[in-house]
Amino acid sequence: MTADGAQAMSLTVIVPSMLRQYAAGVGELSLSARTVREALEQLEREHLSLYRCVCDETGLVRRHVNLFVNSDHVRDLSGVDTALRPGDLLFILPSVSGG
Amino acid sequence: MSDRVVLGIGTKKGLFVAEGSKNRRTFTLRGPFGPGVAVYSILIEARSSPRIYASSCNPFFGMKILRSTNLGKSFKETASAPAFPKEDGRALANIWSLESGVDKQDLWCGVEPASLFRSRDGGDSWAMVPGISNHEHSRKWNPGAGGLCMHTILRDGNRVHLGISTGGHYLSEDGGETFKASNKGVGAGFAPDPYPEFGQCVHKMVGHKDAPGRFYMQNHGGWAEWSGPGGPRPDIGVLRSDDHGHTWRSIAKGLPSDFGFPIVAHPDDADTVYVMPLEPATRTCPGGVPAVWRSEDGGGSWKKLTKGLPKKQSYFTVQRDAMDIDELKSPAIYFGNTTGQLWIGRDGGEKWECLFDSLPPIHCVKVAVV
Repeated sequence: MTADGAQAMSLTVIVPSMLRQYAAGVGELSLSARTVREALEQLEREHLSLYRCVCDETGLVRRHVNLFVNSDHVRDLSGVDTALRPGDLLFILPSVSGG
Repeated sequence: MSDRVVLGIGTKKGLFVAEGSKNRRTFTLRGPFGPGVAVYSILIEARSSPRIYASSCNPFFGMKILRSTNLGKSFKETASAPAFPKEDGRALANIWSLESGVDKQDLWCGVEPASLFRSRDGGDSWAMVPGISNHEHSRKWNPGAGGLCMHTILRDGNRVHLGISTGGHYLSEDGGETFKASNKGVGAGFAPDPYPEFGQCVHKMVGHKDAPGRFYMQNHGGWAEWSGPGGPRPDIGVLRSDDHGHTWRSIAKGLPSDFGFPIVAHPDDADTVYVMPLEPATRTCPGGVPAVWRSEDGGGSWKKLTKGLPKKQSYFTVQRDAMDIDELKSPAIYFGNTTGQLWIGRDGGEKWECLFDSLPPIHCVKVAVV
């Protein structure tokens, strides 16, 4: 239960292999949050090094990092304000770019 | 006893370390470390047990700093990298300079957007230096083509010199607490005022341990033919100061171009200085013929050093941190280029040889005898 009485949802963050060194080596993290924003805030509190790879100092998701809730990119939903449901998967994925 | 020559080579695709004996005949190459990620700055801290630091500028997951305690055989990330306070509103875009401080644990770091950070624990934690990072000019600086970068940090006792592109030269005389723009004589070709208080596109600066107050600067030259407001501004690209950077004067006469990026001083002779002139329009070797130019009289005259370098059809760029000189008795110069070649100029640049021919594009080169 959150401070305003709303129910936080349990979700699983899927950590890509190149970022697992920042998550104690694990590929999945269990969090409890109502929105993607809350999930990121929890990451900042509990896994700061991983959070720094996903968001810059201003709190914005890095330009070349994509967040998916299940199979949908959050930009096609409500961004970091996308609501989460119990059992959702939050994927952290690097974009395909470079040269 | 120092008996190894170690080269740090920062490339577009990671960090390489080359190691050779003091005769410098051959070098073995290790790497890439931080593979696939660009490296723009390296520090080889040679005091007592050597450490190598390098920035790893990951466009996906942000900036990291790599540290090696075994001469570059392996690297680990430090516990954290410089980061702006959340309320600041700026986000780190790159790490352009790493310099050693008063002791082995003291590190200074220049970043993009132009700001200064300091670590007191060998790179595991960092604090922004507000005297320059929040300077009243800082929000008026503009990025050059490479970004708004703090690329040079020179410590001289209680003085700290900073080079910013484009911001100019800033000087602290209280150990880094406060800074003032110090650009008298430093020209700008891209502003209506040819000699503004600040905002110059300084490319690189170097000092000398045996000549207190002596500094050389490679500034953004190439404005001799400028026909816009203010008229031509010849010879503003290569400069010298003899008063701790309070005033600067041109030493560009005799060079084929006053545009270039790196500038390097001889370790034992403050009057000997090296530059790599480039064509200002293309940032490549003039006429396709690369040459390092050396002055042995503090910039009064210049000699072209080309023996062993290509004679034609070589249109590479040497970036601001991609040239260095070792501290052996007859020092060798090293430069890396955007074509991925690493060159050594033996006997003070008299004879050149390509050490590595096909590395990724090279951003920075640092050498130390350890």
